[in-house]
Amino acid sequence: MTASVGMASTGQEGAARSRRGADLIVKSNLLLVFLGLCVVASLLAPQFLTGRNIANLLQQSSLTGIVAIGMTMVVLTAGIDLSVGSVAAFGGMTVALLMAGGVPVLWAIVLSIAAGAAFGAFMGGLSAYLALPAFMTTLAGLTAIRGLTYLLTDGKPADSGGSEVFQLLGGGFIGYVPIVGIIFVAITILAAVVLRGTTFGEYVYAVGSNKEAARLSGLPVRGVITTVFAVSGALAALAGVLLTSRLTVGQPTAFSGLELDAIAAVVLGGTNLFGGRGGVFGTFIAVLLLSVLRNLCNLLGLGSFFQMVVTGLILLVALVLNLLIERRGARA
Amino acid sequence: MTAERLRMAGIVKRFPGSVALDGVELSVRPGEVHCLLGENGAGKSTLMKILAGSYHPDEGTILLDGQPYSPSTPHAGLAAGIAVIYQELDLLPDLSVAQNLLLGRAPHLGPFVRRARRAKLAREALDRVGASFPVTAKVRDLPIASQQLTAIAKALTADARVIVMDEPSATLGESELLAVFAVIRSLTAEGRSVIFISHRMDEVMEIGDRATVLRDGRAVGVYDLASTGPDELVAAMIGEAGELVGATDRPAPEGDPLLSVERVHVPGLLDVRDLDVRPGEVVGLAGLGGAGRTTLLRALFGDLKAQVVARLDGRPLKVGSPAAAVRAGLALVPESRKEQGLMLGLSVSRNAAIGALGKPPWVLPGRLGRRLTRPALDSLGVKAAGPGQLVGQLSGGNQQKVVLAKWITRGGIRLLLLDEPTRGLDVGAKADLYRQVRHLADQGVAVLLASSELNELTANADRIQVLYEGRNVARFDPRVSPESVIAHTVITGATP
Repeated sequence: MTASVGMASTGQEGAARSRRGADLIVKSNLLLVFLGLCVVASLLAPQFLTGRNIANLLQQSSLTGIVAIGMTMVVLTAGIDLSVGSVAAFGGMTVALLMAGGVPVLWAIVLSIAAGAAFGAFMGGLSAYLALPAFMTTLAGLTAIRGLTYLLTDGKPADSGGSEVFQLLGGGFIGYVPIVGIIFVAITILAAVVLRGTTFGEYVYAVGSNKEAARLSGLPVRGVITTVFAVSGALAALAGVLLTSRLTVGQPTAFSGLELDAIAAVVLGGTNLFGGRGGVFGTFIAVLLLSVLRNLCNLLGLGSFFQMVVTGLILLVALVLNLLIERRGARA
Repeated sequence: MTAERLRMAGIVKRFPGSVALDGVELSVRPGEVHCLLGENGAGKSTLMKILAGSYHPDEGTILLDGQPYSPSTPHAGLAAGIAVIYQELDLLPDLSVAQNLLLGRAPHLGPFVRRARRAKLAREALDRVGASFPVTAKVRDLPIASQQLTAIAKALTADARVIVMDEPSATLGESELLAVFAVIRSLTAEGRSVIFISHRMDEVMEIGDRATVLRDGRAVGVYDLASTGPDELVAAMIGEAGELVGATDRPAPEGDPLLSVERVHVPGLLDVRDLDVRPGEVVGLAGLGGAGRTTLLRALFGDLKAQVVARLDGRPLKVGSPAAAVRAGLALVPESRKEQGLMLGLSVSRNAAIGALGKPPWVLPGRLGRRLTRPALDSLGVKAAGPGQLVGQLSGGNQQKVVLAKWITRGGIRLLLLDEPTRGLDVGAKADLYRQVRHLADQGVAVLLASSELNELTANADRIQVLYEGRNVARFDPRVSPESVIAHTVITGATP
């Protein structure tokens, strides 16, 4: 055997290198756009760089961000979770009702998150074991769980009872830093470690890249799929808990359309909708980017209608850019 | 009519970083079956893509019946009378045969399709290739040979003067192949030219009139097949450095079987009884397409519902899923490496490590993954730019080695199941792969090798079991029984 790994033809090496280069550009591309946007924002609106505004921004984006991290893991396995908004609302309601019913704070939180995980595991399990498209099982979940949420109180908000410790969780600050922001960052780092450094993370990418090959390699494909949906459900419920904590009441109407915001962040972050490529770092930046954009529009006094148009256009431009860079990388 | 149907002269095609074609000459006569031979990467596909109009040559000229021909798109190529039937048939599986045959050219009246007229035209096209299945059948429901015939019929509806067939036999059984050959003969009798690409020498000798051999982007020779032997062609294909698949010259392993199958039963598909494999032994599974080779391997690997009564190392073999089979020490190299064997979008080392992750340590930093897979990748001689290269960018032979590396990295293989491991590989890569399999066997691994290439089985297996219509009808010792005798049993199911 003359050649082996590490020493081979220059053509392939060049292709691999430019591929890595393209990946790097795609990733840092997003980061550059984000930083550029921050510079523009601070020039246009002097209030942008104030500590209060930044804290506000982080507070607003963290809940969507937490859900988007779970969504990233689902999308990496080539799945999709449309039920996150409903699960989040359900989690927010149950935590309020449990605490109002006298359940200790910690237990109320744990039970609500566990319920979210159970919902996710059920929908993901249906998809994995019966080979149903996750799009359909979670679409059914979106409707059914939202209905269930309304049924809890017949559609009325639920008062959480007003525990001070609980309110700190969603509304508290350490210095200028909102506690939800710290939770968001911590979850992102945890997810990155799981995806990049553990067997389970490797399985997530393998399943997303080629489900059949993963199965024939002896991987627990269905278990992996069920688990990522459970994680997504748990994180959605956590977002619901945090919102109830900030508002002190559970809102059954909260988080409608959250799934679209989360998917938008995942895709903008460079994760491939067909699975196997991407990661939570891109999602993290994308969440902040979308939030800064919204914030900038607010500071400039542009209405929410205008914001929606801009957000949509930014998404489109980012997708086309990623596509072009990727194509060039593949061809070279 | 000119004496030359097609002349490609001085064709050069460069890709960034490499020269795929370096001044290729190709001349095809009317009514001729012209074989195009060469190892993978020799430039066959690139040359045919230029002919079809998918690629544009950097230099060189093409004459079609004496007229300059330079197609800008595949559509223009088809209009000029060049039809290419690719290995992955470009048929739409959920549409009917008639819809496929006249795709984009359906007879119509205003916006409405004239269905009866289309059915009639499609019927005529099918009749011309001697196909009797209905034109209303969905392509997905047809056996692969009928799909092949559909693709040929589609080429004929365009009234092609030159028909290129890229490895039509890769997915066909022997009897199906005979039907396709009959069609090729009738096409050439009408004066059409066929360019036939294949790796199988016996087919080339049977159907071909002349052959052009490509090597490293150059045409190294044109041979009249009536006066040329296959050995000479293979030698031209692989050049001097190559090595032929040679018969093994060693005693068959003795001793107690590692795998002892009493019965594997899949109702309606498979009923195999009494099959043993000893440690270090390579048992070949021969049979026509659909005889049950793949079904047997999948059943043993727990990949389909089957009644398996077997012992591994004297203990009952219980496999309910591939994961359980892997835990029991089984390893499968599946039929289709791209769809079933590899994660094409992931790197070489991540593919090779994936099977080994089921056990501690659960935490696996990236570098450790590379260190983990390095020994297997090195010992197999995988040629890649590095462990971080995407496995989809490797050649077929190297991809197949990565599938093997996955199991070697995991370790503890007792029984290796190989399903058509050399499909689409060139001669050198085949020999290399079998050397690695033999190496594993020498370490005590029992090997079940399914292949439709009988000469590869006789060269590499210690014993050969012949499957026919789901049953194992005969066993042979390849050192005693001539290939022709085994082939007879493969085709007829009758024991000599």
